[in-house]
Amino acid sequence: MSSGPAVRVSIESSCEKQVQEVSLDGTETYVPPLSMSQNLAKLAQRIDFSQGSDSEDDGAEGEPRDREWGKQETEEEEGTLKFQPSLWPWDSVRNNLRSALTEMCVLYDVLSVVKEKKYMALDPVSQDPTRVLCALQTPQVFQLISKKKSLATAAQLLLKGAEKLSKSVAENQENRRQRDFNSELLRLRSQWKLRKVGDKILGDLSYRSAGSLFPHHGTFEVIKNTDIDLDKKTPEDYCPLNVQIPSDLEGSAYIKVSIQKQAPDIGDLGTISLFRRPQKNKVGTQPWHVKLEAAQNVLLCKEIFAQLSREAVQIKSQIPHIVVKNQIISQPFPGLQLSISLCHSTGEKKPSRTSPDKPKPDDHLYVLEHNLHQMIREFHKQQLSSVVMPHPASAPFGHKRLRLAGPLAYDKAEICSLQQSEGLLEKIIKQAKHIFLRSRTARTIDSLASRIEDPQIQAHWSNINDVYESSVKVLITSQGYEQICKSIQLQLNIGVEQIRVVHRDGRVITLSHQEQELQDFLLSQVPKQKPGNHFYQINTVSASSINNRDVWIELLVLQKKLLLNICLYGTDL
Amino acid sequence: MGVATDTETVCHVPVAEGKSVQQTVDIVHKKLEQLGAVKHGSFCVDCETYHATGNASGQPSKLLYVMHNSETPLSCMALFEGGPCLIADANFDVLMVKLKSHFQNAKGHKVECRGSRYRYCDFLIKVGTVTMSSSARGISVEVEYCPCIVPGDCWNLMKEFMLSFLGTNVPELPSVFAAKPEGLFAPADCVDTMTQYLELFNKLRKLQISGSNVR
Repeated sequence: MSSGPAVRVSIESSCEKQVQEVSLDGTETYVPPLSMSQNLAKLAQRIDFSQGSDSEDDGAEGEPRDREWGKQETEEEEGTLKFQPSLWPWDSVRNNLRSALTEMCVLYDVLSVVKEKKYMALDPVSQDPTRVLCALQTPQVFQLISKKKSLATAAQLLLKGAEKLSKSVAENQENRRQRDFNSELLRLRSQWKLRKVGDKILGDLSYRSAGSLFPHHGTFEVIKNTDIDLDKKTPEDYCPLNVQIPSDLEGSAYIKVSIQKQAPDIGDLGTISLFRRPQKNKVGTQPWHVKLEAAQNVLLCKEIFAQLSREAVQIKSQIPHIVVKNQIISQPFPGLQLSISLCHSTGEKKPSRTSPDKPKPDDHLYVLEHNLHQMIREFHKQQLSSVVMPHPASAPFGHKRLRLAGPLAYDKAEICSLQQSEGLLEKIIKQAKHIFLRSRTARTIDSLASRIEDPQIQAHWSNINDVYESSVKVLITSQGYEQICKSIQLQLNIGVEQIRVVHRDGRVITLSHQEQELQDFLLSQVPKQKPGNHFYQINTVSASSINNRDVWIELLVLQKKLLLNICLYGTDL
Repeated sequence: MGVATDTETVCHVPVAEGKSVQQTVDIVHKKLEQLGAVKHGSFCVDCETYHATGNASGQPSKLLYVMHNSETPLSCMALFEGGPCLIADANFDVLMVKLKSHFQNAKGHKVECRGSRYRYCDFLIKVGTVTMSSSARGISVEVEYCPCIVPGDCWNLMKEFMLSFLGTNVPELPSVFAAKPEGLFAPADCVDTMTQYLELFNKLRKLQISGSNVR
């Protein structure tokens, strides 16, 4: 654009011609390039008009419809053509187009002939004669309906089959649950200890694994119940397995503790055996469970009784304990008899036969029976407690401290303090004594309270008691003067053998178990009553609680009598 | 609970002239009963001797004494004379059987002391007959003062008490107590008791009782 010599830029295509020959003098002779028409022809030749239907490998034309017609000719032509491979580049193109035209013409002719319907007619393909009737319905809708119907039939069949299958499976499960020995065995095993010995299944219902030292083996056997009649309907309570318990643990047992007045005739001993009616089974418990539990209870009662009788024989006491058959009799207090008996009924006899004509009022001390069970279980636990176990192989069973007794040279006093001194029997006798003393004290106080109307005797029993100790607070008050007359308050601590009385003014008096002593003492605390003398009650009140001047004056008037009363009460106990 | 032992003194009562061992024991018993003591059961102290084998020749083999005391029924004491002492569980005897290869039991040397216990207020008196292979060799009297564990504090009291029923046979302060460090708290132990018994047994073993007194 600007000044400067104009540069002529010429563009020409790259001269990429094939070299035909290189002459000796270096000049190259190029192959003349194809002209436009030649190029076009070359490209056209590459077009394949008929793909797949005929082969053009040798350039022969082929017409699928007129094959029979011109086969021989084409074969000849092929032969001639082989010698001249390419007559003309557009030859194949021309031939293909020609054949296409031919075909189109034929088609056109056919259609025009058919249209006239004179020489050619269109007829549908022959169909099933039954279907000709439904020619009105389009075949697709019909097919749909038919398919639907067939599917519905198939579905129904399948559903029916599935229902039957599920029902049978459920029934099977039900049956299996009830009849299957193995599943029942699994349930048994979930609650009881079982082991297999040879081809027998044995179980253990003793308390040995819980710490008991009773030598009974407690083995039961599990047997298959095969006496089922498959034809008949299975009974409701059918169980596929049965347990066989040792013969001495059959039936049911319980320990009976009772306090009675001393039996006059020693021949009466050992005959008490009241039968308790059998417990109703809970719905759903298996019969074997009930049986095993009953047997275990029998075993525990036997152990308790064996321990008690062993101690009764070994322990020396002032009044020896008597062990007769299944009864242990001891005397906690003179004139009183404590009997502990093991009542074991094998369940074969009818209840009406063993129970006496009229049921005696039972002094069944259920509390003591329960305590016996608790104590033996505590004893079991002690055997397995962490204080005892784990223990070195060389050490004996006992308290951990006892292992030090050797190396530290404990003397007898120290060893005794470590070891348990009281046995089961002593404990239960102490408890029985306490219960008896407590009930008698209550009776005494109540009888006095009901007998003496004025002043009133009130007894407040403490809720929280020990097995060996209870307490009661006795108040003696006058009606209307409860707030003033608070002087007579007695706290009675009822122990095992004695009653300790703590007076409000600090005196501590110990009473023995005699009933009369308590009665006398309480009576002495109650001020004597004279009819018509209202002020007499106030006279017995301690001086510190009176601050009413008028009352003081009256007191002075009756001073002589007052002094007399004080003298009387001061000499008690 | 601690290990509270009491001060015990063991002394040897020589057999009275013209009397047998049993008669002398009876005399002591009578004196005690006159004093007001009450019989309180019996006691037994025994001692077994073991030779330590495997020593180099030329050296006298050490003797191990295994003793039992009925006052400490679950214990067993093993001591060398003048040497260390071991207080063990009763299973120690079984252990000694297992150690047969190292310690041989001298069976003829077993010494026993049996007798009765008397209790007088805070004192426990044990009068026993020392027998060796079923022949009575002497009498031992053990006096125990229960409240005190320091021997130095109560020795005088015990001596006075022993005077009252033993007469002139009262011994001096035993060497085990004399050996205790002065001024420091040195309580008496069951080891001291056993050492005293051992000394007594060894003394009696060496002592030859004339034939007329042994009955």
